[in-house]
Amino acid sequence: MKLEEIRNKIDKIDRELLVLLQERMGLALRSKKFKKTVSDPEREEALLDRVERLNLDLMERSFTRQLLKTIIEESKRLQEKDHLLVAFQGEHGAYGDVASRCLVPDGAFIPCMEFADVFRGVEEGYLDLGVVPVENSLEGAVTQVNELLTTTNLKVIGEAQIPVKHCLLATEATNYREIRLVYSHPQALAQCRGFLMRNKLEPYPYYDTAGAAKMLARENPRTSAAIASSLCAELYNLEIIKQGIEDGPSNSTRFLLLSREPYEGRGDKTSVVFATPHKAGQLYKILSLFAEAEINLTRIASMPLRTDPGNYSFFLDLEGSDQDEKISQVLKQMKELTISFKQLGSYPADIQAV
Amino acid sequence: MKNLKLASRTITERTIVNVGNVKIGRDLVVIAGPCSVESEEQTLETARAVKKAGADMLRGGAFKPRTSPYSFQGLGLGGLKILARAREETGLPIVTEVIDPRDVSWVAEFADVLQIGTRNMQNFSLLKEVGQTGRPVLLKRGMYSTLEEWLNCAEYILSEGNPDVILCERGIRTFEKYTRNTLDLSAVPAIKELTHLPIIIDPTHSTGRLSLIGSMSMAAVAAGTDGLMIEVHCNPHEALCDAAQALTPEIFGGLMRRLRPLKSFLECDNERSAATYAENRSAVRCDNET
Repeated sequence: MKLEEIRNKIDKIDRELLVLLQERMGLALRSKKFKKTVSDPEREEALLDRVERLNLDLMERSFTRQLLKTIIEESKRLQEKDHLLVAFQGEHGAYGDVASRCLVPDGAFIPCMEFADVFRGVEEGYLDLGVVPVENSLEGAVTQVNELLTTTNLKVIGEAQIPVKHCLLATEATNYREIRLVYSHPQALAQCRGFLMRNKLEPYPYYDTAGAAKMLARENPRTSAAIASSLCAELYNLEIIKQGIEDGPSNSTRFLLLSREPYEGRGDKTSVVFATPHKAGQLYKILSLFAEAEINLTRIASMPLRTDPGNYSFFLDLEGSDQDEKISQVLKQMKELTISFKQLGSYPADIQAV
Repeated sequence: MKNLKLASRTITERTIVNVGNVKIGRDLVVIAGPCSVESEEQTLETARAVKKAGADMLRGGAFKPRTSPYSFQGLGLGGLKILARAREETGLPIVTEVIDPRDVSWVAEFADVLQIGTRNMQNFSLLKEVGQTGRPVLLKRGMYSTLEEWLNCAEYILSEGNPDVILCERGIRTFEKYTRNTLDLSAVPAIKELTHLPIIIDPTHSTGRLSLIGSMSMAAVAAGTDGLMIEVHCNPHEALCDAAQALTPEIFGGLMRRLRPLKSFLECDNERSAATYAENRSAVRCDNET
């Protein structure tokens, strides 16, 4: 091996070490929800002992012990900070992460594999808040999330309209001229099709945009780049070759902030979900209540009921708070006309939201 | 000239190249900026200054074809990103040179107009590549090239399906050593006889002398040029490339204040002389009748 090759390998290992440490810190934060106190001397000692028993001939036992001790100290420092645990679906750097940082600036952001994990974690109290996408301006409703909203008992306490600005990212060691393969989520690849064609780049589907960025940072495959958010460039130390590479006009996703408790303040936007009996004019009757009371609706969406094919539940977003006299009256009347009815909550509207 | 199917004057309608709101071939378009992008600070400062002075577009090199391989070669992709930021801030469209066929699609991602430099005028694979991008191309005249050779190079770009070619005269090599090159101003009316494509003048590289740039810019306007491409640097003495020939923003501002009035004067004068000509004609006819 030449010196340059050796150094490249060392750099790669350093990157992997840090990405793994970041993951470890996230897990340490989550473990706090199961413990009464931050410090757990017994567990610490067990960890240190186990590491010391490992026979790594290039490393002194005192060194490995010290190294782990430093990591544990840092985890404890982090745990003591009392961050709110904000869960999102995807890897660090996903657009859900971008939305979480916007909605809860000083939170600790916890990646989850599935939307269901976000909902379950918050419901069961292992996580404090959840951030989930409900609708994309180009692709429409995120059905899985809308379904989970109807079947779980979480409250909406905020929203954010997040512009989707795709970036072409590569590691510093990659020369843009050599890029041939581009990894990303199929949806992101589709949104950047023109850009990829113009530059003769081959799209390569990956499970997640941020996952592709993370893979680049860890493995640095040759002649490869990823399409992901600019946050990923920051988190994984990648170079932004070009920002805003999507073909279409502005594309954005609306995210909701979920909590076990309703929003404490008054709020100025209210979300409800309901289903009507299969009778003529039933939906019309409900909508006319809002028309008569002059309440503006900002979203009406229908979703097939999985439990009852052929029937639908409807999502309504309206301007105003459920604490307003006019609105609470209408919601009360509305409830009588439905077979299922759920108030998702009143919350501060994002002025960017449509 | 018989090989010119697309560039020749047999197409009577003059080409107007639209870049954002700028119309090259209709208005007097001034492209100004540093020889090369050296830093974000230098580029943004110069961009603001030329915008304030009334320039229509920003130039700046990210890839530099230098005579010596040891001279500053440009910031590459980093330079393109800086130019894109300057456009974002000032709204000025970007003109930048591309020297390598492998970079064409990438430069086209960031720039509004692709420049082919004098040394690459006959780099036919590069010409074909820029012909396929759909971005307007500013084609500089080769320093040893005839008008016919130059127009054949334009034909290469046009034949790839890109109709937006802007010609740029930047001086030719002669035996004269006082100036860096000899500015062939006759190219302006000659090109207008030969082709429908717009032509602009680069008074900076053609003279290589600060003191001559102003006069030659005025002369170019008088000759009917569609635009000028002038090097301006916010701090010329510190420029990494062609330091001796870049104007300061102040001198450039002063020149701009003279250029536009000259252009309008000539336009009025054209109308006036057209009117006088028409009068004279009718007078002559009257005379003949009597």
